[in-house]
Amino acid sequence: MSAEGEEKLWETKKYDEVRIYKDEEIWNYTDEELANYKCKHDTPLLDQLEEGPWPSFVSDIKQEALHRHKLPEDKLLIPADVCDDLLGQVELSYVEKETHWKHGGIVGVFGYGGGVIGRYSDQQEKFPGVAHFHTLRVNQPASKFYKTDYLRALCDIWEYRGSGLTNMHGSTGDTVLLGTFTEQLEPVFFDLTHDLGVDLGGSGSNLRTPSCCVGKARCEFACYDTQDICYELTMHYQDELHRPAFPYKFKFKFDGCPNCCVASIARSDMSYIGTWKDDIRIDQEAVRAYVAGELKPNAGAFGGRDWGKFDIQKEVIDLCPAGCMEWDGKELKVNNKECVRCMHCINVMPRALRIGTDTGCSILFGAKAPILEGAQMSMLTIPFIRVEKPYDAIKDIVDKVWDWWMEEGKNRERVGELIQRKGVQEFVTKVLGIPAIPQMAKEPRSNPYVFWSEDEVPGGWQRDINEFRKRHPR
Amino acid sequence: MASLDEIKKVIVDFATNTKKSKFYFKDMEKAVQKVIPDAKSREIKKAATALINEGTLVYFSTGSSTMYGLKGRGISLETEETGKAD
Ligand code: HEM
Ligand code: HEM
Ligand code: SF4
Ligand code: SF4
Repeated sequence: MSAEGEEKLWETKKYDEVRIYKDEEIWNYTDEELANYKCKHDTPLLDQLEEGPWPSFVSDIKQEALHRHKLPEDKLLIPADVCDDLLGQVELSYVEKETHWKHGGIVGVFGYGGGVIGRYSDQQEKFPGVAHFHTLRVNQPASKFYKTDYLRALCDIWEYRGSGLTNMHGSTGDTVLLGTFTEQLEPVFFDLTHDLGVDLGGSGSNLRTPSCCVGKARCEFACYDTQDICYELTMHYQDELHRPAFPYKFKFKFDGCPNCCVASIARSDMSYIGTWKDDIRIDQEAVRAYVAGELKPNAGAFGGRDWGKFDIQKEVIDLCPAGCMEWDGKELKVNNKECVRCMHCINVMPRALRIGTDTGCSILFGAKAPILEGAQMSMLTIPFIRVEKPYDAIKDIVDKVWDWWMEEGKNRERVGELIQRKGVQEFVTKVLGIPAIPQMAKEPRSNPYVFWSEDEVPGGWQRDINEFRKRHPR
Repeated sequence: MASLDEIKKVIVDFATNTKKSKFYFKDMEKAVQKVIPDAKSREIKKAATALINEGTLVYFSTGSSTMYGLKGRGISLETEETGKAD
């Protein structure tokens, strides 16, 4: 899958050519056999999880366990009962309330510092099938577009060389292949790269696999081409993705608009959120059609229940967080200067309201889950930047932030924590060299991060105390 | 400016003699800059990558963060697999 104009190092095969199993081997058990399937270990606690209203991972793993037992032995390179032993070990952990996975290791594929997460059982005699249970992260295609023949080929490789269990997808975005033995890592990597034309993703202290929303491929709200920049930055920063030298992990996520379908604002150190500078486009006729009930609000997404007649005042105007909309019964007015691009009105009336035409993205920094410090969301830092090929202005920002973080960051300190420790002022004015704006401060008194520096103040920090006392006696 | 080979040598010295058998990139960077003050982190990373590719250094990853170590010192694949490491 090399891009146009790039030299191909080898010819990627057709997915059909790398299939390992025949159709009858894939569909090799009946519903009855599944219902009667008896796992190698007793798992009463796990079995309870299957009784709830939701699909259970326990049922999924049992299904795969049965499937593997019915495959010919010469078509499995790791133990057939890996899934049974997995259930057995998890059951034991539920009983003892302690994990039996050993954390970390030196396993990986040659030259890569990421993409493989080493895990071993500390109960290898009881559960030999999961003695090794390494995970591989596979870089997903932009927006997770797949063809079924690719997925079949991928699943075959993993059935053959791994547990057959996958996670589509991990929260980083990757296709996650769960559980294999050390000696299978290089062969899986070879098959993925040579036969399927995909690479491993990131793990450890490096750039994690960038991910993006569906964007312009399907969504009219997309303010920029999320897929293109996601792919471009993935390729541009290959060294950072595969060879860890950061203080800790770093994530990019690309959302085409503030609906934030990949939750970039909560899950990425550097969140790119589409926005626009000009006005929301309004089709007044269509607004009136919504009010008259001719068009369904939210494109019918809440149609499952009777919510009563659509009330534009209650459901749109009063819910606008900026309070910047007005409806006089005939015409909808938006004070675009105050609009915070929350998307609410556009989501409710997509036929009547559209994003502006002068588009780009906002860049926010610092979201993370709790590790050293508590969880935090990204902070709006660059309100507007154009997102245009070859994205040089954006790459400049990335490089500046990484240089600062690699220089100043402590081991295992995320960039968001470094910004907290050093202050937003240093980050914004010194690292990025952009002016701070009042909106960056939540409350001037509790978050007083805009300080004067000495050269900005007449006379600097020095004062003549005698002169001062002449004017202000004790 | 220091050559790649000089940086590599300092890294190997550090990896051999440091108290801990695995260390963060930053620790290695500081150790190099103590001996070669003008070494840039990008150069140090290049040297470390070369040592990885030669098989002198290995990565150690928990999945969430990554450390480096001298191959065969402290943690090895064998001790790891029999569960005796750490
Ligand atoms: C219509 C009248 C007034 C309004 C709407 C008003 C509104 C406000 C607001 C919104 C703040 C900012 C609070 C914050 O950011 O946390 C504030 C702060 C303050 N106001 Fe007023 N205020 C009014 C009258 C007054 C008067 C008459 C005084 C004094 C005689 C006063 C003294 C202060 C002081 C000392 C502060 C604190 C400033 C700071 O924290 O930096 N205000 N006021
Ligand atoms: C020598 C005289 C005064 C001193 C030393 C003084 C000092 C202070 C201090 C230290 C604060 C807290 C600021 C902070 O939250 O960081 C404060 C808050 C405030 N002061 Fe005064 N003050 C004085 C006179 C006055 C007068 C005369 C008024 C009103 C007529 C006033 C109204 C307020 C108000 C409304 C706040 C609360 C502001 C807020 O919480 O946002 N102060 N003052
Ligand atoms: S984030 Fe916005 S542009 Fe991207 S898919 Fe969601 S709604 Fe569409
Ligand atoms: S996008 Fe949000 S803030 Fe802007 S006008 Fe609509 S509801 Fe108000």
